[in-house]
Amino acid sequence: MGTQFNKLKSNPMIRKTGFSCFALFLSLLCGAVIIGYSGYSPINIYKVIFVDTLSSKSGIMLALSQATPLMFTGMAFAIAYKVKIINLGEEGQLHCGAMAAAIVGAYIPNLPHLPHVFMALVAGAVAGGMIGLLTGVLKIHFGASEIITSLLLNSIIVYITSYLCNGPLKPLDSSSPQTPFINESARLTRLVPKTQLTTAILIAIAIAVLLHLLMSKLTLGYEMKAVGLNLNAANVHGISIARIYLFTMILSSAIAGLCGSTLVLGVNGRYVEDISLNYGFAGISVAALASYEPLAVPITAIIFGILKAGAFTVDRTTNIPVELVSVVQAFVVVFIAAPKLTEFILGIFNNIPGMKQKTGGC
Amino acid sequence: MDNIFAVILLATLRMATPLILTTTGAVFSVRAGVSEIGCEGMMIAGAFFGVLGSYLSGNAWVGVLAGVFFGMLFALLHGVLHVIFKVNQTISGMSVNLLAAAIAPLLIKLIWHTNSLTGNVASISSLEQSFLKEIPLIGGFLSQLNLFFYLAILFAVSGWFYIFKTKSGLRMRTVGENPLAASTLGINVIAYKLTGTAICGVLSGLGGVYLSLGQLSQYVDGMTAGRGYMAMVINTFGHYNPIGAIVGSLFFGFFDALQIIFQSSNIPSQFLMMLPYLVTLLVVVFGLKNTRQPAGVGKHHDA
Repeated sequence: MGTQFNKLKSNPMIRKTGFSCFALFLSLLCGAVIIGYSGYSPINIYKVIFVDTLSSKSGIMLALSQATPLMFTGMAFAIAYKVKIINLGEEGQLHCGAMAAAIVGAYIPNLPHLPHVFMALVAGAVAGGMIGLLTGVLKIHFGASEIITSLLLNSIIVYITSYLCNGPLKPLDSSSPQTPFINESARLTRLVPKTQLTTAILIAIAIAVLLHLLMSKLTLGYEMKAVGLNLNAANVHGISIARIYLFTMILSSAIAGLCGSTLVLGVNGRYVEDISLNYGFAGISVAALASYEPLAVPITAIIFGILKAGAFTVDRTTNIPVELVSVVQAFVVVFIAAPKLTEFILGIFNNIPGMKQKTGGC
Repeated sequence: MDNIFAVILLATLRMATPLILTTTGAVFSVRAGVSEIGCEGMMIAGAFFGVLGSYLSGNAWVGVLAGVFFGMLFALLHGVLHVIFKVNQTISGMSVNLLAAAIAPLLIKLIWHTNSLTGNVASISSLEQSFLKEIPLIGGFLSQLNLFFYLAILFAVSGWFYIFKTKSGLRMRTVGENPLAASTLGINVIAYKLTGTAICGVLSGLGGVYLSLGQLSQYVDGMTAGRGYMAMVINTFGHYNPIGAIVGSLFFGFFDALQIIFQSSNIPSQFLMMLPYLVTLLVVVFGLKNTRQPAGVGKHHDA
């Protein structure tokens, strides 16, 4: 029995999963403190969030549609992190992609459905990818830290798209900042009528599988992993670091751009100023909870999707605002990022008299 | 004050104030070998908890203390995660930013029941009725500056003195350059790293408090507007020196001030608001060629 348990623990997949679960648990515990402070019972609230959401069809649909953008941004962050690039520019790349998709969707008339959707999606991916290309070139040729440049580019892009939807692209009959509605032909097909669940989620899952194949089967993926694990060793073995960096930046930001496209084509039907509900930075939490494995990202995105969908209900019926989710997400990053912290907390549990149980080298 | 130059100068000094404070904090952090990417979150914490402290106590100075304290608390979260639990410093810094940006709107909804902005609270009064007004010629000008501006200059200069002229400052720089060597010399590396980060949090928090209680009397979501990230750039621009921080902040403050001056012109407001970020980006790309970070940033002495 004991040896079997230890064997299970030495499996890296199971270790990582167990670790992620524990980190999520700690984050929910921090959320519980906030719920308790607001004068509600954390158990009841979490029951509403998880059980009630999953027991109705509309709840599940809402959770899945909330999870879709998180899948994209989560994968974008995860794939860059494999190469030890921290892509903090997703927010800007998303806006850029959304604007491109909105323009292609609204201003190209009389196109059949599939080519139009395809063009609009690609436009978003290309627009996002261009930002990644720019960030990569600035890093490789000018030595500018991609962390700083992408954070600055976020602000610059959001101001440019904000100018576009406040000025030149704003329809005459609208009072709020937005672009005209896209043509019906550019809309993503709804999987379930009257929900926001569209084919976007299938695209996201397909990308997750493709990314997994890239990392596990292709030479390029092997080289990316090598650069991520040991830059100098990869360099000595003749892998062009600059090429890998550039490719990864473009890939990561194209996925973020695609997220923008799907939001326009599937959810809003147009570009609106607050199209991204902080999806770019939420992607960090999603990727971290998935231990940066692209194939696990859809699962962790769905967990956060459920949390978000449930939080909407809680927001409506109690005083606890939906912002609770962002706090839990932020705590996830803290706990996942710090394996040693989590081990430390586990250590405290182990040292409580009566619970003392030798659990081996954790 | 009908002179256009005086108006620009005044706006520049006002806009530079939070940048000087935060960048001076960032200097301490980087000189002690810890990345300053969490400054944005520390500013948000300072700005928000400053307002909360002032709201709960009714006294703006209690608010200032609360803002500074929470700025330090968030900085220590980053510091402890990175220094003791060996987290990648960009991730630990970003988690501070995410956490601060998430907690503020949550607490606003819980306490004020509004979206993204708090009610008005007691704020730091201006110096316009103070003794500064009695100074001949420039008194009128000096009294229009906020107390925080003078504090910022004071902290920057004393920070420069500490880092470059004292024995303890030399030790802090040693920790930042080569933590292993510092450890071999018997310097308590962890204590210096955490102190540097904590000072960063205090000053960034004060920079945030200036935005919410010095310039306004409320917290508005997004009011820090990436100034923490700008401080990172100014820090490099000023060669990780508090005096350089003053000069760099004045430069960036000038571009921040331009948008106020051109507000009534025909230029779309988005382009004016974009200007400081664009200038910062250009400086990052073309202007930071010959600066070098302390060699030990992000390194551990026992790894």
